[in-house]
Amino acid sequence: MNLDILPTLSGESTTPPLVEAQTDSFIVVGDSSNTQQLSTKKKSFGAVFGSTFFTIFLAEFGDKTQLSTLLMSAKSQSPWSVFLGSAAALITTSLLGVLLGQWLANRVAPKTIKTLAGVTLLLISITLFWDVAQF
Amino acid sequence: MDWNLLGITFITVFLAELGDKSQLAAIALSSSNSPRAVFLGSAAALLLTSLLGVVAGAVAPQLLPVRLVKAIAAVGFAILAVRLLWPNADLPQNPKEIL
Repeated sequence: MNLDILPTLSGESTTPPLVEAQTDSFIVVGDSSNTQQLSTKKKSFGAVFGSTFFTIFLAEFGDKTQLSTLLMSAKSQSPWSVFLGSAAALITTSLLGVLLGQWLANRVAPKTIKTLAGVTLLLISITLFWDVAQF
Repeated sequence: MDWNLLGITFITVFLAELGDKSQLAAIALSSSNSPRAVFLGSAAALLLTSLLGVVAGAVAPQLLPVRLVKAIAAVGFAILAVRLLWPNADLPQNPKEIL
């Protein structure tokens, strides 16, 4: 697009510096966003997936949802209907949670969001310890 | 396929899980991490627990003592919390240093 417009806008004498400036800025913008994306992805995807999976799996294991799924599937003749209903609900709630998290991350300062997230996880940890102590 | 039962299960589980600890954890983790990784990790974990609920049913809690599992989960969440709250812990302000 720019290449089509450039020659007509600027005479032949000013074409080289304009093109240079444009390509320079383009490279800089593309480069920085690329490295940022790469670094966050490299740093976290596997680790974030793993830590999320294990903590949530262990926290939900033997929890009320798993027990009610078990009860419903035991009572009914089609356990797979229960599984699919439960699976769809759980995927929806995690999707809503992640969307809400992203919405918050775009509106609150990174430092504040880190503190809030840390406090929330700490509270979850405390309630889990409380559950263990109550047994 | 019993669509009625599927719908009832969906509504029951959806309402029970709304605002529950795993959703709060998903909100907290995704606000400062890769949201796709958090979503996939969270959804996979929840699918596996409900699959175990359906397949292994009454046997599952005997295979793994729930109390021990919950204690491990509590320690895991505490570690994640401390990593976020620790001063100067990998703040995303200088991403080039990580590379």
